[in-house]
Amino acid sequence: MSNAHLIQKPRPETADVLVIGAGASGSVAVRELVQQGFSVVCLEQGDWTPATEFTGDKPEWELSRQKQWHPNPNVRQNPSDYSVNTDDSDVNPLMFNAVGGSTILYAAHWCRALPSDFQVHTQDGVADDWPFSYEDLLPFYQEIERDMAVSGLAGNTAYPDGGGYPLPPLPIGKYGHKAASGMDKLGWHWWPGNNSIASKAVGHRAQCLRYGACLTGCPAGAKASTDLTHWPYALELGAHLVTGARVSEVTVNAEGLATGANYVDREGNEHHQKAKVVVLAGNGIGTPRLLLLSKSSAHPDGLANSSGLVGKRLMMHPYAAVVGTYEDELESWLGPAGQSIESMEFYETDASRGFVRGAKWNVMPTGGPLGMRAGYGGRPIEESFGVNFHRNVKTVLGKSFEWGIIAEDLPDENNQIVLDSINVDSDGIPIPELHYKSSENTSRLIDFHVDRAVEAHEAAGATTISVTKLMRDCGWHLLGTARMGDDSSTSVVDQFGRAHDCPNLYVIDGSVFVTSSGVNPTATIMANALRSMRHLAETHTDQKTAN
Amino acid sequence: MLNPVQIETYSALANELIPAAEGMPSASEADVPTTWINTALGYRPDLVEAFLRSIDSCRGEVPARALENLNANDTEAFDALGVLTSGAYFLNPGVKELLGYPGQLPVPAHDDTETYLEILERVVDRGPIYRASVST
Repeated sequence: MSNAHLIQKPRPETADVLVIGAGASGSVAVRELVQQGFSVVCLEQGDWTPATEFTGDKPEWELSRQKQWHPNPNVRQNPSDYSVNTDDSDVNPLMFNAVGGSTILYAAHWCRALPSDFQVHTQDGVADDWPFSYEDLLPFYQEIERDMAVSGLAGNTAYPDGGGYPLPPLPIGKYGHKAASGMDKLGWHWWPGNNSIASKAVGHRAQCLRYGACLTGCPAGAKASTDLTHWPYALELGAHLVTGARVSEVTVNAEGLATGANYVDREGNEHHQKAKVVVLAGNGIGTPRLLLLSKSSAHPDGLANSSGLVGKRLMMHPYAAVVGTYEDELESWLGPAGQSIESMEFYETDASRGFVRGAKWNVMPTGGPLGMRAGYGGRPIEESFGVNFHRNVKTVLGKSFEWGIIAEDLPDENNQIVLDSINVDSDGIPIPELHYKSSENTSRLIDFHVDRAVEAHEAAGATTISVTKLMRDCGWHLLGTARMGDDSSTSVVDQFGRAHDCPNLYVIDGSVFVTSSGVNPTATIMANALRSMRHLAETHTDQKTAN
Repeated sequence: MLNPVQIETYSALANELIPAAEGMPSASEADVPTTWINTALGYRPDLVEAFLRSIDSCRGEVPARALENLNANDTEAFDALGVLTSGAYFLNPGVKELLGYPGQLPVPAHDDTETYLEILERVVDRGPIYRASVST
């Protein structure tokens, strides 16, 4: 989008607040703080992505989604991307660097966490409780849902009464009806999916046109990416956005207080932005990477890392896919993608199952004829080609849908991000190196849920069912690597995201999650960011700064 | 754009991968080697080198055997050949029509709540399934 009509004031030499990252949480921070009268500068390593660039309404969509619009930065390799070393990870992290961040490519499933998600230790005896409750976060969920103009149907029995949604639900479509019929037969919970996709035109967004291309950027401009929901307002109010700015270090003074950040522009020139307060919103990989890069005499193990927990407890929601094919024509290339319906039937802990915690299920369409078919090499040719090429397409195209399973993974300090000691990004900055393995609890959880999803397809009349127990390209949800808590020896930030070791440094992205829940986290990331930034604004007169 | 020699080799490979069957045309009958592969290559410039390598390595060979060798010895080239040939085939509007697939066309969202309210009421009747917050 163009903001050429805006006449910006000169960027302040010293910003009241410097926000690093213009994605889901950073957008919330900038909009909230600039509304409250703060001077705000945001550094974003990506750029704007106009809806005309998305290919979801063009013939090349299915070919381009495997490269240019792939969610894995190691595949996409845009100039704004940094690589991630995944040699020791079961799961690839997925993200997008742009104004709007990963909301540009996310599926826009809009899910609040549940009350028990904030009390995992109290209710299930494992992991830790969050330092606040579902009820504490509820008003911020509701406010963000208005900002994002969420489409949904009130009354979901999987949740406490939390009011309605700004827009009516998106259509569940023929495949949603088919999935619901199976759940109805089994007497299992289902509900039309909430999506941050506009079922009617609203604000800067158009009505959903059901391209089913949500995961590659919405060409209709209907999906609530924060370049549409937050940035136009923030810029109108005077926020300063610097795109193509890759931050290499948060700088501190001799006392260890943050003074700003060093960054590199796309021409390779180095800059420094001064600020009284620094807010990190770079996602659960980018933020710990930056903290670990920001070593100083005051913070020798990385900024805000006296607990040793920066980068640790990485959670990524292992994802299983159970696809059923049907004899009926289901138009399963139509969106939303997005979720048609969801189920929380097996979300809450039942100790008799042999594991704790659970998973949300979501029905998603299966797309066009090419789909994500790739990686033929090394497999028998006749599996995918010859007469089977035609048979496979005719069996699946328009007649199938996926029950996706978002498995809650519990925090484990062995699952972590460190700095790669060899490899660097295009600016010479060490890339993150992931170490991530699924636990025994997660494996049992996935086995159970997959078996139930197979039963759900059978009840709906599926003719064939295929199971992928762990999709490698599933790491959308990057959580836990700078956890919050009350105790500075066991957490990185307090309940408002303020670093225990550096009182003018905040972390507001998914890094702060204490546990991961079993739902898509964007709603919780944004609601938590709003809660944190409102607290920052309300207490700014007591804010300690370096300047 | 492929030269005539490359087109000849590629046509044989493409027809081996996508033969006429199940009421569907072969890759050549769908103009893949002469038209749509060029469009597909334009969409995926990152695959051009591996794709051309696949053709060069199969030139003069029996297509089925050449593909087996390629699949065994150069998976990157085989992947490029497979993805581009499949993608090019589905770009042909006639192929889409035969499959009953409209392509990426706009279908404005509509509210279909009334069509499922009856079975959704049974979910509501079963009552809440969440665990409430507990005092700590």
